[in-house]
Amino acid sequence: MTLLNKFGIGPASGGRGVTQPGKPGGHEAVGSKTQSHGHGGNMPAAVGTTRAPAVGVESTRVSNGLKELMWNLDGLGRGTLLDMGGAWQATLSFFIEKGFRVTTDDLLRTWKQFLENEEKEYRERSKSDQSLDLSPAVRANRFFESNIQYPMSSFDVVLLWDLLDYLDPAMATRTVAAITDLLRPGGIVFTMFHSKKPEGFQRYRVADAGTLQVISANVICPAQRVYQNREIQDLFGRYRTAKSFIARDQLRENLFIK
Amino acid sequence: MWKKEDSKPQGVAETPSSVAPALQSHRDTPGFSPASSQPPTSSRATACISQGIKIKGEITGSEDLFIDGPVEGKLNLGSSSVTVGPNGTVKADITAREVVVRGRVEGKIAGKERVQLWNTGQVSGEISTQRLAIEDGAVLRGKVETGRPVDKSEDRAVSAGKPNGASVPAATTI
Repeated sequence: MTLLNKFGIGPASGGRGVTQPGKPGGHEAVGSKTQSHGHGGNMPAAVGTTRAPAVGVESTRVSNGLKELMWNLDGLGRGTLLDMGGAWQATLSFFIEKGFRVTTDDLLRTWKQFLENEEKEYRERSKSDQSLDLSPAVRANRFFESNIQYPMSSFDVVLLWDLLDYLDPAMATRTVAAITDLLRPGGIVFTMFHSKKPEGFQRYRVADAGTLQVISANVICPAQRVYQNREIQDLFGRYRTAKSFIARDQLRENLFIK
Repeated sequence: MWKKEDSKPQGVAETPSSVAPALQSHRDTPGFSPASSQPPTSSRATACISQGIKIKGEITGSEDLFIDGPVEGKLNLGSSSVTVGPNGTVKADITAREVVVRGRVEGKIAGKERVQLWNTGQVSGEISTQRLAIEDGAVLRGKVETGRPVDKSEDRAVSAGKPNGASVPAATTI
């Protein structure tokens, strides 16, 4: 089994798919009224097939987490934002129009590239009887030594989306530690967790201050695990404030304030 | 009749399929052909670095440039357009009026008017420009600085009207 196959990233594991394509998520903020608007989206129904819709199909979902984030950012002025979900015109436009200086860094894509390079390195070293420590924690440290390198306390906001679900636990823990260092005191992380293992892979982009567009995409890394609420709190134990929003589309949105 | 090409707006052939509405509007222009078999260069392009040529060093000039091969160093074409083709790999800071990326760029991109990333484009570095168009699928690792000044007074007025942060600016090209 290759390193990539171990993570389900190898050629045989590729795949496309969409999770819950027909159920764009309305949200229920914990302890608040149920949101009854914002359903529907613009995703066309698949006709004559039960397969998952093609890659690139979009839907929309109400995001109370995003609303809360924007409420928290109101009055911040010219803040700095790191989007780790890739570069989307809509998201960039939205935050730049709000006055943010935006940096994008596609964490999953970078991680996959890193694993591919690690596998090459492993093969080369094995030829010359040199070892490469492949333990998850060491590998995660190695990743952050060469990637996601920004000055400490340089961001007011980090958009982490649902990426932690797609990272192995050691990498997820290291990622949270890294972004905690990148955030200024009072900085906010916006993240989402699936309540059950997603079948496919989705990207998110901001449609407006309370709505996300969900785009089905090719699987970069398959989902690794489903986090329980307690585990999520433990992951973000260094943060002073946490807010959770439970959606009907199996997604929990979280805001963590450093 | 003879000069159909003349009616085509500058840079139309460079517009990605799903970029911002401002650029998308060019596609509705009569005469635009997305499936055109023409090479993916600017209509004004006169200089071309093809796959078989490797350049290390500084490139300066005042003509449009199409790069479809490896280039390392520095590119400064202040008032012209630079297009990095799908086979182009540029490890250089690029300064130009307009920069179109369909290949790979490592370095800072300064596009005085605009920068376009096509879906095959990969940029690792900072982008500073007046307008940025990113097609779905493009990869960008780095900071984005746009020249559009933020109207703070307007922003405050909008926020004041909708204190829960629900204000939604019109979708525009960055």
